[in-house]
Amino acid sequence: MTEPILEMRGISKRFGTTQALADVSLALYPGEIHALLGENGAGKSTLIKVMTGIHRPDQGEVWLNGRSITINNPLEAQRHGIAAIHQEPMIFPDLNVAENIFIGHGNRGSIVRWRQMYREAADILARLDVKLDVRSSARGLTLAAQQVVEIAKALSLDVRVLIMDEPTASLSAHEVDQLFKLAKTLKANGVSILFISHRMEEVFSIADRVTVLRDGRFVSTHPASEVTPESAIRDMVGRHMDDFFAKTDKEPGDLLLSVRGLSKDNVFHDINFDVRAGEVVGFAGLVGSRRTDVALALFGIETADAGSVTLNGQPVTIRTPQQAVKLGLAYVTEDRRQLGLTMPMSITTNITLPTLHQYANRFGLVQQRAERQTAETFQQRLSIRTPDVDRPAGTLSGGNQQKVVLSKWLNTQPRLLILDEPTRGIDVGAKAEVHQIIDELAQQGMGIIMISSDLPEVLAMSDRIVVMREGRQMATLNRSEATQERVMAAAMGQTK
Amino acid sequence: MTRKLLSWEALLLFILIVVVLINVNLSPFYLGLNNQINLFQLSIEKIIVALAMTLIIINAEIDLSVASVMGLAACTLAYLHAHEQPFVLSLAVSLLIGAAAGAFNGFWVAYAGLPSLVVTLAGLIGYRGLALVLLEDESIGGFPEWFNQVGQQGLMGSVPFSLLLFGLGVVVVWVVLQRSENGRYIYVIGNSADVARYSGVNVKRVKMALFVASGLVSALAGILLAARLGAVRGSTAQGFELDIITMVLLGGVSIFGGSGTLTGVVLSILIILNLRNGLSLVNISGNTQTGIIGLLLILSVLIPNWLASAQSWWARRQESAAQVSG
Repeated sequence: MTEPILEMRGISKRFGTTQALADVSLALYPGEIHALLGENGAGKSTLIKVMTGIHRPDQGEVWLNGRSITINNPLEAQRHGIAAIHQEPMIFPDLNVAENIFIGHGNRGSIVRWRQMYREAADILARLDVKLDVRSSARGLTLAAQQVVEIAKALSLDVRVLIMDEPTASLSAHEVDQLFKLAKTLKANGVSILFISHRMEEVFSIADRVTVLRDGRFVSTHPASEVTPESAIRDMVGRHMDDFFAKTDKEPGDLLLSVRGLSKDNVFHDINFDVRAGEVVGFAGLVGSRRTDVALALFGIETADAGSVTLNGQPVTIRTPQQAVKLGLAYVTEDRRQLGLTMPMSITTNITLPTLHQYANRFGLVQQRAERQTAETFQQRLSIRTPDVDRPAGTLSGGNQQKVVLSKWLNTQPRLLILDEPTRGIDVGAKAEVHQIIDELAQQGMGIIMISSDLPEVLAMSDRIVVMREGRQMATLNRSEATQERVMAAAMGQTK
Repeated sequence: MTRKLLSWEALLLFILIVVVLINVNLSPFYLGLNNQINLFQLSIEKIIVALAMTLIIINAEIDLSVASVMGLAACTLAYLHAHEQPFVLSLAVSLLIGAAAGAFNGFWVAYAGLPSLVVTLAGLIGYRGLALVLLEDESIGGFPEWFNQVGQQGLMGSVPFSLLLFGLGVVVVWVVLQRSENGRYIYVIGNSADVARYSGVNVKRVKMALFVASGLVSALAGILLAARLGAVRGSTAQGFELDIITMVLLGGVSIFGGSGTLTGVVLSILIILNLRNGLSLVNISGNTQTGIIGLLLILSVLIPNWLASAQSWWARRQESAAQVSG
């Protein structure tokens, strides 16, 4: 085999307490299409960001054509011939196709030679065997055409390594075929392509080699011919289960929530599930599976187009969060910083926000002593570590912030609690505490929906698991039949 | 503790004391009761609107239409009075028109999701236009005697009406902001409307109520202005919105919403009143005064930034000194 173009050697990167990458190595050879697989949070994005100069590695080296290089920013990556195209192309809608292709060229003098630019842009598109008018505005282009423009842009910069980060997620089958044809053309020209996708069948139809990451670590690299979907999934999921709290088994109570045929155009389709009192229903899936959209539709933030929701035997239509809260629903968001807490305001203020009306006397004045009492009760109950509940929520650690969000919703005394990634971005200790809280709540008869991308967590905590993929419900597995392999296979569309 | 000492309110208090001391040096009559009362009377209309504006800006919105609503309410009153409608009815209609103008703004901001800057800029133009349509180029006065009295002197013996109104306004707004349920929502929405919405707060209702209140208070201020001036024309109160917004921003209320205190706004109002008065004492023209207040507003944004960087510089120095000695 020839020498690799780009080699990542022993790359490590840490963010706060999270080790995003640990000693990851990867080599890309000229003229190969290399697939990168892994669960959410396996480190794929971080690795790409290191390659394209967005992040600097803490340890490890990047080798290009047999020389060690440092990449300080995306512009330097571009100069080294490394470019990335993303699921959402970054084009300028008000410029035309040719302008978009040459946007990164700062060294062509201060006067635009339009005729030359159009000719060169047309040449590049011809090389790609794509018919696209270089003078047309980029605004009206389809997503697929925008990606072509991005690829042409990379080619105009003499790209040698092209990273394609879930390029097919929003494309139709025909457009995917076109894109793959294009990728093969590039490959024939000696370009090395790193291809990231959650669709197994695509990976196997195009990749020459497959690398799997898990928990920020390198697991395996094999020629695609030696890999099967089953073996790849096994490599992706084999995570440790040890320090997990498992839900206590309990006979479920009455039917609380019943969702039938819930759909929202172009978002999710025909979702069916039940939640009983004391039950935890896990929602598993990969990025873009639209689990959060289903939760938001239940909570009245988004509106479903079709289907029915029955709560305690009553059919309900929930249009606003206020209504949802009144009906006994609570939604703990995955985005604590933007949607969960107002960071500059006090812990107390955050906890009593959904229930503030209960603390107001008949003149509409807030009884601050009662408010403080509530906050202190929750501080003890969930052991929120802070010297004082009057401190701004932003001063707490991630785990304690999450406990404040939980307190805020438990104080509404919900019958159905929706948790969206309840342990994301919090440390191991806090995670175990949150799991214990969830278990206690279920024991007390609360119905819980838990969306989580953490497979072992979903398996350990759920009575039943709904697996979604791109807005569709792929499987509903009971606790006894659910394994990491089965859940991941369904999440990636490998149903049998 | 050092943070407390360097708070914005403390800085404003310091500026106020400096301004008052200079003024006392300039004129022996400065601290006289008449002069101080005069200060309030000449600006009371702007001041009460500034109190309402404080709530709007903390909520991360803005109302540029206030001065036009003042003008529209005053013109409505004059128009109805000139057409021989009962005076009390005319007053009620004027207030109602103000509330309706506020509701119109509020509808587009809260329910249609348009930016308040644009909506109320349209209101600034539109409501002023209506006022001019009503009165054309006439100047209408001849209000009842008791009405003029309200504007020009005290209702309750020696305590002037405007001072009383100011006191009342401050207490009401303070209670709303610091103690009431809705005041809490105003701060939370100003910080993050999304967090409020995801917490089941009726964000639209709060925004709508604030704009209606702003319209109503502006109409009241317009009526008071009519009483004080004794006559109204289409251009009454034109351009007041800039003074009003200046009072709020100089008071340390963030233009991005979510923070600011009424104490700061009251101090900033006192500074502006005393500064203008002092500048008049040394015969500086009104236009130059406006320029100086503009300068003050820019400094009010710059100084906290300087203080913050000075503080972090000092902290770094302490740290490196500690490292050297340790």
